[in-house]
Amino acid sequence: MTDELHPTVKIKASGVTVDYGEARALHGIDLDMNENEVTALIGPSGCGKSTFLRCINRMNDVIDGCRINGRIAIDDEDIYANTIDVVELRARVGMVFQKPNPFPKSIYDNVAYGPRIHGQAQNRGELDAIVETSLQRAGIWDEVKDRLQAPGTSLSGGQQQRLCIARAIAVQPDIVLMDEPCSALDPIATAVIEELMEELRRDYTIVIVTHSMQQAARISQRTAYFHLGKLVEHGLTQTIFTNPGNEQTEAYISGRIG
Amino acid sequence: MIEENHIVSAFDRDLAELNDMVARLGARAGEQFAAALSALETQNASQIETIVAADSELDELEQQINERAIEIIAMRSPKATDLRCIVAALKVSSVLERIGDYAKNIAKRSRVIIGEDEASDTGLFVNVGALVQKMMQDVMTAYANNDAELAIQVWNSDQNVDAIHTQINQELLQDMREQSELTTVIAHFLFIAKNIERVGDHATSIAEQVHFLVHGTMPDDERPKADDASSAGAA
Repeated sequence: MTDELHPTVKIKASGVTVDYGEARALHGIDLDMNENEVTALIGPSGCGKSTFLRCINRMNDVIDGCRINGRIAIDDEDIYANTIDVVELRARVGMVFQKPNPFPKSIYDNVAYGPRIHGQAQNRGELDAIVETSLQRAGIWDEVKDRLQAPGTSLSGGQQQRLCIARAIAVQPDIVLMDEPCSALDPIATAVIEELMEELRRDYTIVIVTHSMQQAARISQRTAYFHLGKLVEHGLTQTIFTNPGNEQTEAYISGRIG
Repeated sequence: MIEENHIVSAFDRDLAELNDMVARLGARAGEQFAAALSALETQNASQIETIVAADSELDELEQQINERAIEIIAMRSPKATDLRCIVAALKVSSVLERIGDYAKNIAKRSRVIIGEDEASDTGLFVNVGALVQKMMQDVMTAYANNDAELAIQVWNSDQNVDAIHTQINQELLQDMREQSELTTVIAHFLFIAKNIERVGDHATSIAEQVHFLVHGTMPDDERPKADDASSAGAA
């Protein structure tokens, strides 16, 4: 049983290094991310936070010359073990990207795509139910229920991003990774997504990369600060933003040259 | 404490301006308190009126600090030391305004007791007043320089003030028993002594804010207390 005081570690990174050819992008990252929490990864551009995020669903595997060492375990299972099916892993670990990227298909098919290829629905009725539940959980059902056959790309940016969240959660993942999910959205759409994240964390573990300090402070329970490929500090978000332990962290979050 | 400048240099200017305002209020509160102690001794009526009239300046300055601090919070979204600095400015300015009130109250009571100074030995008042003035000066220096060590010294020194206050209290109560015709005047002296002691308490609360500003925590140990005045009864 997990609660605020006794969190369960969902994702455990130990000594994770990433090299792109000769260049080392991550230098031995040790980081625990808890179940039903939002962990925010912050740091200046090029600090390795997105590289780290992409290790959690093995998105870096597809990059030529990228080598990953160390261990990342989800529920104590090494996701880089030979026995792991990467396609299944990516269903368990969904991802939402910076720019909303709906498929050039209908709203319905965007959400139904994953469950279809993973064989998660036995019939049309089950698929309809998954689509509806996913769109509801993503907080967009009421806005699209009367036009499910309209193209996903016909929605506004904020709606498209929520459609992408619905698509990610349709395959019933445990974890949702978000890579700057609001950076292309206006403040209202951002607030809607942030409100949604608070809802979603009850069912999922969320790891988000964000360049907005305010967003990290608003939505996450824990914050990890990366700098030059190293994890500088990790702790409770309220501590990081009121009394960080490290001067580099302080320099970054308070907008100083660090 | 972080020493580097902000990338947005206007943020540094905002914080410097806020700190200057608090320093100015601290200086004015210190002046008012010093003037009140002096007026207690000299019983100079015009000095008393000046103190009473000047109190509204402190109230205004505190209000300006509140407004500036709220603007900075709204506009700059301060974090970590910056945030603590602004919260400390708000709290310290509120305490300084209260110190101004105590100075005014001492002055007003001094007005009532002009010519009645034989009712009390003011020597102890001079001693405790000097101690509290030193605390005020040191704590504002600690605040200006983010000096948590000096703040802790101030924090600890309050017990000396408490000890003298207890002594003053006992002597005044004794006088009251022996010279019942002076009860009203002595009551004013009791309140003056209490006001001076409260200024000392407020200096310690500024010291706590300096500690919070520098370390992000309040001082650990319970402050040593030597004030038994509240339990002083008829001997």
